Amino acid sequence: MRLLTEAALLGLASGPACLASCGPVLAPWLVAERAGWRRALGLLSVFLGGRLAGYLLFAIAAGLLGATMPLGARARALLFAAAHLGLAATLVVYGLRPRRGRPEPPLVTIGPARRSWMPVLLGLFTGVNLCPPFVVAAVRAMETGSVAGAVLFFLAFFTGTAVWFVPFAALGALRVAETAATVARYTMLALAAYYAYLGILTLLARLLDG
Amino acid sequence: MADHVATPDSRGIGRSLLLTLPVALWALLMFSRALGVPGVAVKVAALLTLIFLVTLFFLMVRTRQTNRWRRWFFATLGFLFPIGFIWELIALRGSMSIPMEKMIAGDTPFCFMVIPMILLPAALTRTVIFPGAILPTASNPHSIAVMIGLWMAATLVLGKGWCAYGCFFGGIEEGIAAMPRKARIRKIDGRWRLVPWAVLAAIVLLSLATLAPTYCEWLCPFKTITEYAEVRSIETAIQAGIFLSLFLGLVIVLPWLTKKRTQCAFFCPFGAFQSLFNKIHIFEIRIRRDECKDCVSCQNSCPTMALSKQSVADGKTLINCMHCGACVDVCHKDAAVWHIKGTPVGAAPERARLLHLYAAWGFAIMFGGSIIAGTLTKMLGFLG
Amino acid sequence: MTRLKSILGYTAAALTVAATMLTPFLLMNFFTRGVAATGLRIDPVYTGGEVVREIARDGYRVRVHRAVYPGTPLQRIEPFVQLDWTPAAALPAQVSEEVDLDGDGQADLRARFSVPRDPNAELRVDVEPLGPRVKALRGVGKESFHAMIARVGEAVVVRVPLVTDTR
Repeated sequence: MRLLTEAALLGLASGPACLASCGPVLAPWLVAERAGWRRALGLLSVFLGGRLAGYLLFAIAAGLLGATMPLGARARALLFAAAHLGLAATLVVYGLRPRRGRPEPPLVTIGPARRSWMPVLLGLFTGVNLCPPFVVAAVRAMETGSVAGAVLFFLAFFTGTAVWFVPFAALGALRVAETAATVARYTMLALAAYYAYLGILTLLARLLDG
Repeated sequence: MADHVATPDSRGIGRSLLLTLPVALWALLMFSRALGVPGVAVKVAALLTLIFLVTLFFLMVRTRQTNRWRRWFFATLGFLFPIGFIWELIALRGSMSIPMEKMIAGDTPFCFMVIPMILLPAALTRTVIFPGAILPTASNPHSIAVMIGLWMAATLVLGKGWCAYGCFFGGIEEGIAAMPRKARIRKIDGRWRLVPWAVLAAIVLLSLATLAPTYCEWLCPFKTITEYAEVRSIETAIQAGIFLSLFLGLVIVLPWLTKKRTQCAFFCPFGAFQSLFNKIHIFEIRIRRDECKDCVSCQNSCPTMALSKQSVADGKTLINCMHCGACVDVCHKDAAVWHIKGTPVGAAPERARLLHLYAAWGFAIMFGGSIIAGTLTKMLGFLG
Repeated sequence: MTRLKSILGYTAAALTVAATMLTPFLLMNFFTRGVAATGLRIDPVYTGGEVVREIARDGYRVRVHRAVYPGTPLQRIEPFVQLDWTPAAALPAQVSEEVDLDGDGQADLRARFSVPRDPNAELRVDVEPLGPRVKALRGVGKESFHAMIARVGEAVVVRVPLVTDTR
């Protein structure tokens, strides 16, 4: 119980750092959806589900591998690069494709409709960013000595961070004009370029370091 | 620099001189200190600038045309500013690049384009994510407080009109766009107008996430003609390449091909930010539907595509109108008119135009005029 | 109502003209002071943070700044501490000394650098960790904001990266 409380508090304390990482992705995406309150909360849940999936995958790995889990600079950098490249790709697809099943305004007519599992990908790639609080959580999860312990720890940690994301539903509920939604989609494309660059740069730097 | 403008009846010379008198007195006041300073170059530069700006105002009043003459001032400012700025950098440092020690010392001059990026981080962390100085110093008079203070005053007076009367970067495109007789690229998709807003959103979000001025580090085309971080690594070399490419593409090539201010209209995030203040600015341009023949001359003439078919049908410009007056100048039916919010549209458009010009030109003389005179002083001093 | 709106409109227009005239004499100064009064500081990534200790040496001193940590995961700096050797003119040609960062009596690092006579010459620094907090530097110049040496005004500034998660 004490461990779970510690995990939740660590998650709560990490919230601002999580927001700084995920906010640039979440904000334009939810604005672009123009979803209304209920659907925005649903989309946010799917996104958070993706983040949770990332956390739990890590938790299972931490529980199975224990102290041998590579958390050194090189491993972190490679995972960071992979997550950023995945995020960039998802943002490009999301930014260019209109949503399935809803007639899009004339401003946005590029490409066929996208799948509803894309928010999961967005959540997964933003969740796995291995910031210091995440690393601390991973180390503590490994110290539990079991997969179940690690999973519970990360679940509690995730709950602590997730609290900070709830207000974002208000963005999705805005029902902005189609112009603003289009701007939000272009913003996602601009962000994709930045994340792609970061991912490539990190990958190259690590590969060159050997 | 003549476009196919409508030619309204000219105002009489006497009346034009009378209306120009306040501006002439204002210019004398603004340049009085320079005129009193010993040194021929300073005096001649101040006098030339004063005559130039007052003459342009006189012509704006006499011919009842705004943009036709405003462009001369703005292009002159756009070409002379980088000359003067680079001159000063070379004199001070011997180079256009900013070494790290200067950033640590707080000697980086603050540019107004940073403003949208620093607001949220400042609100949340109470720090300014820019390597400058809050208050002016001997080595950095362009401190953050001074430049933000200037921007606040400019926004109060000009609103988005900053992009037509204040910005010392926009004049380069203005001048280049005016040179060809015809545009080679005439059809431009209206969705490009939305890109500056996306760039603004992206840099605001990323600046908050990275606590660094993202636009300055990665995207500003005008780094090419002002200053940039020392190129000491692959990353800084990539950044320099991006600045140069954007400058050549958006500021030189595309304005030449389209006769539009393409960097301003389709990229500049500060322009998008400044557009927000059009909502509260008292001056605007309106379209009188009963006079309009939908000839689309106004739409074609606008350097930033601030008029669309829908907006003209609604009798107004889009939010990114910078009050340059190009549409009013070109309208043969006097449908496009200057307007003061709250007053009946078309009731006294010339009065609205003059009041706007007194405010805008007054600022232009104070700010742009001082930059023009400063550069001319350096050039004349060099020659003499 | 129409008349009232017109009066207000023209009043606002006249005030805008007045604002132009007031800008160089009043408004700009007012706004500048307002910004300065907000108490904003420059980000310590650029300034190096506040000085927390001064270590007196023979003819010069070493100022130790508060450690600077990244504020967000995406901020591309490592934690670092800035050290200033000042005044630079009083430094010996070769500086090699141990520095206690936190005043606990234990040296945390040894820094070695040359001080050329030419103030514009490039500097290089070696830092050897003597404790768990500090990362090593070998022949570093101006690589990044968190690992560098440069002459800044009257001081030689060295920034030493710290091991992550050592707050």
